[in-house]
Amino acid sequence: MKGKWRFLVASAGLAAAALVAVTAATARTSASSAIIVDGTTDTVTNIDPAGNYDFGTKAVDFMIFERLLDSGPGKSLAPHPSLATKCASVGSLKTWSCTLRKGVKFSNGDAFTSADVKFSFDRSIKIADPSGISSLFANLKSVTTDGDYSVIFHLKNPEATWPNILTTPAAQIVDHNVYPADKLQPSTSEQVGTGPYVLSTYTPGQQAVLKPNPSYWGPKPANGGVIINYYTKSSTMKLALEKGEIDMAFETFTPTEIVSLQKEKGIKVHQGRAASIRYFVMDTNRAPTNNIAVRKAIAYLMPRQTIASRVYHGQVVPLYSMVAAGLPGHIDAFASMYGTNPSKAKAAAVLRAAGVKTPVTGQVWYTPSHYGDASADEYAEIQRALNGSGLFKVSLKTAEWAQYVRTLGTTKGLFQMGWFPDYVDAENYLLPFYPKGQFLENGYTSTKMNALAVKEQGAATVKARLAVVKQMQVLAAKDVPIVPVWQGNMIVVSRSNVQGIDKTLDPTFTMRFNLLSKS
Amino acid sequence: MSNSGTSLKTYALTRLALVVPMVLILLTLVFLLMRVAPGDPISAALGGHVPASVINQIRHQVGFDKPLYVQYGDYLWDIVRGNFGTTITDRRPVSSIIVENGGATLELTIAAGLVAITIGVVVGLLAGRYRDTWVDVGGRMFGIVAYAMPVFFLGFLAQLFFGVYLGWLPVSGQASPITQAFLPVHTHILFIDAIWARNWAALWDITRHLILPAMTLGIVIGGIFIRLVRVNVIRSLKDDYVEAARARGIGERSVVYHHAFRNALVPVVTVVGLQMALLLGGAILTEETFNWPGIGQTLVKYLENRDYVGVQGIIVVFALIVVFFSLVIDFVNAFIDPRIRY
Repeated sequence: MKGKWRFLVASAGLAAAALVAVTAATARTSASSAIIVDGTTDTVTNIDPAGNYDFGTKAVDFMIFERLLDSGPGKSLAPHPSLATKCASVGSLKTWSCTLRKGVKFSNGDAFTSADVKFSFDRSIKIADPSGISSLFANLKSVTTDGDYSVIFHLKNPEATWPNILTTPAAQIVDHNVYPADKLQPSTSEQVGTGPYVLSTYTPGQQAVLKPNPSYWGPKPANGGVIINYYTKSSTMKLALEKGEIDMAFETFTPTEIVSLQKEKGIKVHQGRAASIRYFVMDTNRAPTNNIAVRKAIAYLMPRQTIASRVYHGQVVPLYSMVAAGLPGHIDAFASMYGTNPSKAKAAAVLRAAGVKTPVTGQVWYTPSHYGDASADEYAEIQRALNGSGLFKVSLKTAEWAQYVRTLGTTKGLFQMGWFPDYVDAENYLLPFYPKGQFLENGYTSTKMNALAVKEQGAATVKARLAVVKQMQVLAAKDVPIVPVWQGNMIVVSRSNVQGIDKTLDPTFTMRFNLLSKS
Repeated sequence: MSNSGTSLKTYALTRLALVVPMVLILLTLVFLLMRVAPGDPISAALGGHVPASVINQIRHQVGFDKPLYVQYGDYLWDIVRGNFGTTITDRRPVSSIIVENGGATLELTIAAGLVAITIGVVVGLLAGRYRDTWVDVGGRMFGIVAYAMPVFFLGFLAQLFFGVYLGWLPVSGQASPITQAFLPVHTHILFIDAIWARNWAALWDITRHLILPAMTLGIVIGGIFIRLVRVNVIRSLKDDYVEAARARGIGERSVVYHHAFRNALVPVVTVVGLQMALLLGGAILTEETFNWPGIGQTLVKYLENRDYVGVQGIIVVFALIVVFFSLVIDFVNAFIDPRIRY
């Protein structure tokens, strides 16, 4: 009897506890409904702006820190005021003066002044962290201040696109009272910026929790906060999205996962033109691609349409210039010169005219995971197109990224590469690849291209600069050391109750969580 | 009596002393393995076109430019001081990784261990008791299939069936993002932190998230225990004292559960401790499958990023944990069984 009585009391207690738990859970759900939960397979390197240059960290950083100028959202890609109300060249393109916005406070209440700007640039150059991108400031000689609200950038050489540099993650402004001048602030330590959010907590590899910054000078975020949840596998993230454990996912699902998600009820796939590209590099010093006829033949045979439809299910678009489509100055130089569809006849003709014996043999390299798991299928299509023409006999080789990138100029004659721009301007799709100092180490040199690059950087007007940009694209197609293949989309998958995502889809590839809300 | 007490003390001291060369050999093996692997660890971790001056700077910071014997000495001295290094890719001290992520692994391995022991003992006992019946055959088949099943495959099936098709349980994570974001962290073991905060909704959420990964890993490990318990129960049931108990008229149920079973469990204690290594190894794959933020998942990340310092540090910690548990088990066994002496 006693035992049964005890049992009844215990059961009642458990039931009451369960009721309380359910009630508490419901209450929590109501309070947390304004919070957007995002999933990603990207990773964070260092949240300190001086120590990162990757999209995973950018997703967090861009919500905490700000820059003097900004690019986007939407179609407003040209640099426009943010922490600076105005930035203009003074005299020549070697000196740029910026007027700072008054009344801005950091999230800890400190006033934003020119001292913070100078400090941020100086420390980024001094620290020169290998994970950062202080190399974007290679042309910066010094930063001086003129009062609390004026900053002057002194460059070594004229640079018409200096304002674009000010929109990049490298140029994010930190509080000089908080950040060390000569080393990185640990990611789990306090992060202080002027952005719309404050980093409430950061648990490496698990979560970043952003809450609205009460000191923010701009429009308040459309939500009550953001939680970025980190996943190691996209398949797990897909399951979490399907079950509603997360509200949205930005970066990265495989193409087949996206196709599957497009068919699901309650889930929406948002796509916008991005500025990332993939291209095929050929070594101009090494056989067989040291012969321009071979390079042209490959350009004639590149199966862009097949790759876009069969491998990526329409989630990428064929690209006919190294400059991303949609950017001012872009022309479809490769379409004009080599056509939009593969042409075996033209490829054969150019090889015959040059006296090249066929099939031309070679090894095509790609890296299996760094640019996405679909790389294997993509390069299988390229191999199929080349070998199927009867003009080539190429084999495929792979190496993981760490090994792959170290030997670009030494072991690889034909290889895969990709590019996410530092800033969204045609210049950033040309200068890293063609003029002297280009990083691909594929042996390409051109006096004419070098001269055009100098002329582009020193152009006095936008019209003059874009005219040079077009000339550079034509020359790039004519010399063809690189064949552009496709341009990616910015893809975000969300539950149907999330609004505002389409406002933030643009070539800057920035997820502006502050524009998102949830019903 | 005084002799066996002295012997236990001598055994304990001897066993403790033997830990030193064991740990030294383990640490040396890890050190050598990380250095004989081809490629330069610094450039492999940093990748990209990092200037040579920067690579040399990082190499100097982590001590890779010193002679090998100096690196070895520094490595051992750092470990004695609890310094397992700082990762190259994300600048995290390995000791903080152990603290921040170790709680999740501990939570998973304890829960999985309990599941494994429960399944192993119950099924093994029944299989041994009802030897050569359908209960025995079924139990053995279950044990073999469970042990042979890759843990990530079983986990994936569990996610699909219980998480997606039935919708009963969450498929990933240690807790829901909201719970994890707002629960105050004290011990990094969310289960305990929820109790600490008296947040019962969070506790329930954490428990629900723990069920699938713990069951997955526990079933796989339990497959080993099933066979072990079964064999020991069968052996115990044949012993003379069991026959004597039956001869005295004690009921079969009491003979099995109160006499044979307890003695059958003694060797299982040893195996449970030794299976800690298996649990840790299985935890790595389980954490990957369920996005469980433990040390195992972190180890995989550093392996993929070629972060030698991170990999080395975590492997050293894993090795020390296994050594510690085997030491504890040896002590327990020596305490239980006076025949175990040097």
